[in-house]
Amino acid sequence: MAYLITKENIKNLLTDLIKLKAVFAPKKDAEDTVLFGKLSSSSEWHGDALLTHTTAKDKVYLQSETFFKIKRNKSGVTIEDGPEPEETVIFGCRPCDARGFDIIGKLFNWSNFVDEYYTKRIAKTTIICISCEKPESTCFCTSFTKGSPVNETGSDVLLTNIKDGKYLAESITDKGRKLIGDNSKYFTEASKADEEAKVTFKAEAEKKIAKKLDLAEVKRKLEPAFESVYWDTVHLPCVKCGACTFVCPTCYCFDITEKAFDNINSVRVRSWDTCMNELFTRMAGGVNPRTDTKKRFRQRFMHKFNYHVDNFKEELCTGCGRCIKACPVSIDIRKVIEEIR
Amino acid sequence: MAENIYKPHLAKVVEVKVETVDIKSYKFELLDPGVRKTFSWKAGQFLILDIFGVGETIFTFANPQTRNEFIECSIRKVGQVTEAIHELEAGAIVGIRGPYGNWFPFDKWQGKNLLYIAGGVGLAALRSPIEFALDTFKDFKKKTILYGARSPLDICYKDRFSDWEKVPDTEIILTADKGAEGWKHKVGFVPTVLKEVHLSPADSVAIICGPPIMIKFVLKELLDLGFTPEQIVTTLEMRMKCGLGKCGRCNVKNIYICKDGPVFTYAQLKELPDEY
Ligand SMILES: Cc1cc2nc3c(=O)[nH]c(=O)nc-3n(C[C@H](O)[C@H](O)[C@H](O)COP(=O)(O)OP(=O)(O)OC[C@H]3O[C@@H](n4cnc5c(N)ncnc54)[C@H](O)[C@@H]3O)c2cc1C
Ligand code: SF4
Ligand code: SF4
Ligand code: FES
Repeated sequence: MAYLITKENIKNLLTDLIKLKAVFAPKKDAEDTVLFGKLSSSSEWHGDALLTHTTAKDKVYLQSETFFKIKRNKSGVTIEDGPEPEETVIFGCRPCDARGFDIIGKLFNWSNFVDEYYTKRIAKTTIICISCEKPESTCFCTSFTKGSPVNETGSDVLLTNIKDGKYLAESITDKGRKLIGDNSKYFTEASKADEEAKVTFKAEAEKKIAKKLDLAEVKRKLEPAFESVYWDTVHLPCVKCGACTFVCPTCYCFDITEKAFDNINSVRVRSWDTCMNELFTRMAGGVNPRTDTKKRFRQRFMHKFNYHVDNFKEELCTGCGRCIKACPVSIDIRKVIEEIR
Repeated sequence: MAENIYKPHLAKVVEVKVETVDIKSYKFELLDPGVRKTFSWKAGQFLILDIFGVGETIFTFANPQTRNEFIECSIRKVGQVTEAIHELEAGAIVGIRGPYGNWFPFDKWQGKNLLYIAGGVGLAALRSPIEFALDTFKDFKKKTILYGARSPLDICYKDRFSDWEKVPDTEIILTADKGAEGWKHKVGFVPTVLKEVHLSPADSVAIICGPPIMIKFVLKELLDLGFTPEQIVTTLEMRMKCGLGKCGRCNVKNIYICKDGPVFTYAQLKELPDEY
């Protein structure tokens, strides 16, 4: 079902939501960087930037998550669960961000092992996504089967700015239907013409995306390329900072460590990790299957466009292009996979 | 709600036994009687041991499902968590989660000769499949255990050998890289001894575990002896954290060693790139 909502009413909706839930939206931080921040007022929403510097991934898959608290004392050990996640709204992310949740959600539910930290939090999160009017030069979402500036995968509500100050609002999931239902005063029914306007919007937006990769071809080239000399040189500029995986909406690797406060209290913590880090695969005694940058660099691309496709039938990438912008040495993921030999 | 996959069951250290200078064997008992009843595993699988206040590490179940009164591990001191484990005494409370990974396919090996080849702490990983085969010895033909350690002092499970040898059709061949006074067994590296004793591949499976360099040369010997890649089975070791195929670090190609392994035939390994 599609509705219309004005920009004015979007602000009113945000004001109402902020009273009830934690609302995260693109917001300027102290240094003027646009990030997903918790809104205390609807005026803080900074909707002009296409992409935030980092994704909204960390609002569901926390950068550092306390699994549980551990108390050791004379009578034994007790394990205390953390608090239940709170009702959250992610507002104003882009389709490539929203689709990231869909992709890593599958990993966190993979092979009968359900990661409850992720699944409980995503169940309490409503994602209101905004279609992209002006894709940037780094965007390549249309290379993916499900990717487009108006794609709804992973979103609960998709807003598309079809005419000046008027947004088409589509409810995609039950969570989305509930959100619109609960706030129906801000929405009016959309007409057939409004829905058709989205088709034009899509065509216009997609025209702005310069690069469309043939990812089936990339996969075919990657399969036999493990030993290729290509990797010997393509990694050379990389400084192993890990920025690319950090800003990625789909990179999910993590470490599990223990933080002890004293002899009694400690916490078990899960924190983001990256295959670009040497310690990622280093075993006790020093043996490491991925010692050098070449191997780690290869892992990143192999994982995203070959291994993950084998396991999940889709790439571990949504085409947001953040890694291209974040890389200090301007390594372009599109170029790397396109030129594989 | 299903159980939290990262949360360990509480267990008590029941017994600590010194095996060698750097290996100790532990018996653990799960505290919750209900969990004790349902917790089961198969030889080849591993668990994650939780030392509260320090962290988690990965160990093979040292005892097979046929000897499941306790959960046993043999642990070599190599780093932060294993050092803390070596400090543990009977009565200490630890956490255990698992079992994880695949297991040795004994159902496919009925009626075969079993050749176990272990180097160093690798015998810890082979103890459960060895004892499983000994406990169900009627299902198999000859059981040969070829085990090598750096020196006679590094021989693990010394006091188990006499019981093992009592099982019909079981032979143990011991070797040390360097001998010592009173050492009545072989001297030399495992692959060399393997060549000497010249075991036949007919109707046999070779199960190997040890340091990578030993495995490399043992593989070569076995292939020279006429073993096919399908007849050779080993376990892989990678740095692990979750044991669940999620933390992303233990992959070779699209295979996660914690979830799809750690037990592989050489035929399977040959298909994987050399990144383990
Ligand atoms: C399937 C499997 C079965 C194993 N079985 C045994 C066994 O029966 N007995 C035994 O002594 N050792 C075994 N190991 C090796 C054992 O897990 C490592 O020696 C141990 O994790 C080192 O931990 P540490 O904290 O002391 O070392 P550190 O170097 O401080 O390691 C830090 C962390 O990295 C990870 N890590 C480091 N090395 C390894 C490694 N080799 N394998 C997996 N994770 C690692 C662990 O999470 C560890 O806590 C096994 C490993 C695997 C993968
Ligand atoms: S292995 Fe590397 S590329 Fe793959 S998800 Fe992990 S950090 Fe990202
Ligand atoms: S952001 Fe660039 S330099 Fe940093 S790890 Fe990624 S590819 Fe290498
Ligand atoms: S140990 Fe985490 S994926 Fe294998």
